[in-house]
Amino acid sequence: MASHLLGWLAVAFYVAAEAMAILALVVPRERLGWITPALVAAGLALHFRDLLLRAHALGSVPYRTLGGSVSLFGWMLGIAFLVLLLRHRERAIGPFLIPFIVLTTAVGLLLPDSSSAPAEGTHGALFALHVTLAILAYAAFTFSFVLSLLYLIQNRQLRRRQTGILFARLPALEVISRMNHTSVVIGLVALAASLAIGIVRAEMFWSSLADPKIAWALITVLVYAALLWMERRGWEGPRVAVLSIFGFGVVMFSYTVVNVYLSRAHRFR
Amino acid sequence: MNSAGEARLLLLGWNFRTAALSVRERVAFSADEVREGLDRIRREGLVTEGVIVSTCNRSEIYGVTEGTATNEHLTRVISEWRGLDIREAEAGSFYREGAEAARHLFRVAAGLDSLALGESEVLGQVRTALRVAREAGATRSVLHRMFETAMSAGKRVRTETEIARHPLSVPSIAFELATKVFGKMAERTILVLGAGETGTLFAEQAVGAGVLDVRVVNRSPARAQELATRIGGRAVPWDALQPALAEADVVVGTTASPEPVVSRAAVEGAMKERRGRPMFLLDLAMPRDFEEGVGELYNVYAYGLDDLREVAEENRRRRSREVPRAEAILEEDLARFLAWFGNLAVVPTLNDLQARLASLRDAELARLPAEERDRFRAFADSIASKLLHEPMRRMKAEPDTSRKLDRVEAVRHLFDLDK
Repeated sequence: MASHLLGWLAVAFYVAAEAMAILALVVPRERLGWITPALVAAGLALHFRDLLLRAHALGSVPYRTLGGSVSLFGWMLGIAFLVLLLRHRERAIGPFLIPFIVLTTAVGLLLPDSSSAPAEGTHGALFALHVTLAILAYAAFTFSFVLSLLYLIQNRQLRRRQTGILFARLPALEVISRMNHTSVVIGLVALAASLAIGIVRAEMFWSSLADPKIAWALITVLVYAALLWMERRGWEGPRVAVLSIFGFGVVMFSYTVVNVYLSRAHRFR
Repeated sequence: MNSAGEARLLLLGWNFRTAALSVRERVAFSADEVREGLDRIRREGLVTEGVIVSTCNRSEIYGVTEGTATNEHLTRVISEWRGLDIREAEAGSFYREGAEAARHLFRVAAGLDSLALGESEVLGQVRTALRVAREAGATRSVLHRMFETAMSAGKRVRTETEIARHPLSVPSIAFELATKVFGKMAERTILVLGAGETGTLFAEQAVGAGVLDVRVVNRSPARAQELATRIGGRAVPWDALQPALAEADVVVGTTASPEPVVSRAAVEGAMKERRGRPMFLLDLAMPRDFEEGVGELYNVYAYGLDDLREVAEENRRRRSREVPRAEAILEEDLARFLAWFGNLAVVPTLNDLQARLASLRDAELARLPAEERDRFRAFADSIASKLLHEPMRRMKAEPDTSRKLDRVEAVRHLFDLDK
């Protein structure tokens, strides 16, 4: 296993960013607002360098292994976090989201890279697109999960008339809802596209669709499609948030248990 | 240090803590009276600079003096002018000198001395007081700097602490809660039930906060129309209440009806029509306007008067907890002002100026051969002392304290002596 010195340095930056994000939540100082995004950005640069080194060592895209794919997942979360921060300027999300960046990056660094030969069909631009879209979808669903938690927290505070610091800092329910909706739509489109590419390639290389990963991806798509349908039906609010949290559970199951134990084609090598 | 040479800061005031309303009324000044008051105290030679902060809760006279002006002189002039018994005026007044006078102003500007802790209105009142005094020619460098520093400290306190962040009044708390449900309120529809005093107050607040669509429903349509016209809203007939409910994001109950005017079933129906979009119900009526249990409906947020009072009490406590941090900020800025003021005296300024010239001289001498230095040092010193003689004499001789302080300030500024 490579030492991943740069990767761990990136984790240190993410942890510092989390500390600053919490501090910014408690002590509102506009002047210090840039520190968290700057730390995340520095972490992302180191993290990217680590992914490149990893790809070099593997002689392949870094996400052929579980460790590499989890690490890329963390990197994408970081990018998405910066985009969201620049677009919505909702700093209150940082303390809740950055731990996922820390966790995924650290887990990605701890998981070993085996040096077995790559399986058939795990190269080329289409494969890269397939995996990238899937990981993008996972990142979007992670956002949706965090936003749903925040929705439930804010909703509870409103119901219990708890108007403390967290209440003041968290965005309005309507705003969280809108951000959640965007995340789900992006995740759904990315996952559906990744699934379509995956099905086409599965037929090409293995002439078989009997892979549990496909079934679980379909279930994930169904859960989030149901969520959007519920929203249209006027169930926006806590129920949608709860379903989104459930959907994230399905995503995590599909990403971990299914990949590692059930799916032969999606087992990392 | 809290005086510049012989110059002193002073403050004579009456506020809601020290004086009865009957006294406060007599010493409350309009802008014209403030100008007259400033004129009087300067004409009497009591102060050379003055600013009067006069609001419904306080009347405070700030001044700079070098003479023997005291509490008694100032109180006598004011009570004679206002036709107030001097013992009564004295009993309700408070007097501060030096750093204490400045500290009081800083606390006032930060809202620490206000009835509603941390309120922001007082900052505007302090700014107005300074403007009126400046326009009347009653301020110079000292009070100008003192007020500007106090105002900037007041702003710092409000941005760097939570002291102004938690609303205290019932309408503003309701508005904050609604904002946390809907985000921006401008595009929302607010329906006010009842056109009485509370209904009017709330409708006006909503319009003032930028809500574009405010509707009023009242049993007597004429009063609904009257209020709607006044605030630029829309009157809704009483029998159109149900469809109006479905269209409203926020419904405020303020009627005097002895029983609820909006049933749980009515809200349920409205929610169905709204396809579940959140609804915010605010019951300010006594007895209540909404049937019990409306808050249990999905996506309905319902609050009563007691809920909001509870939040107000909690917010008051939150603000009080910020006082030590606010005071620390004030002390920082106050120390800066007092150091500046302390340096304004003539003698330390002349010493600083001489030290500055000496260091310039030494730097130049260092570039000369050693054997020539003594000669040039004597030469440089002779020019410096001739150059400084007249300005020194004039600064010391200036009889008007404030003009003297202005000049000292100018010298310190021109020669950059405060660095």
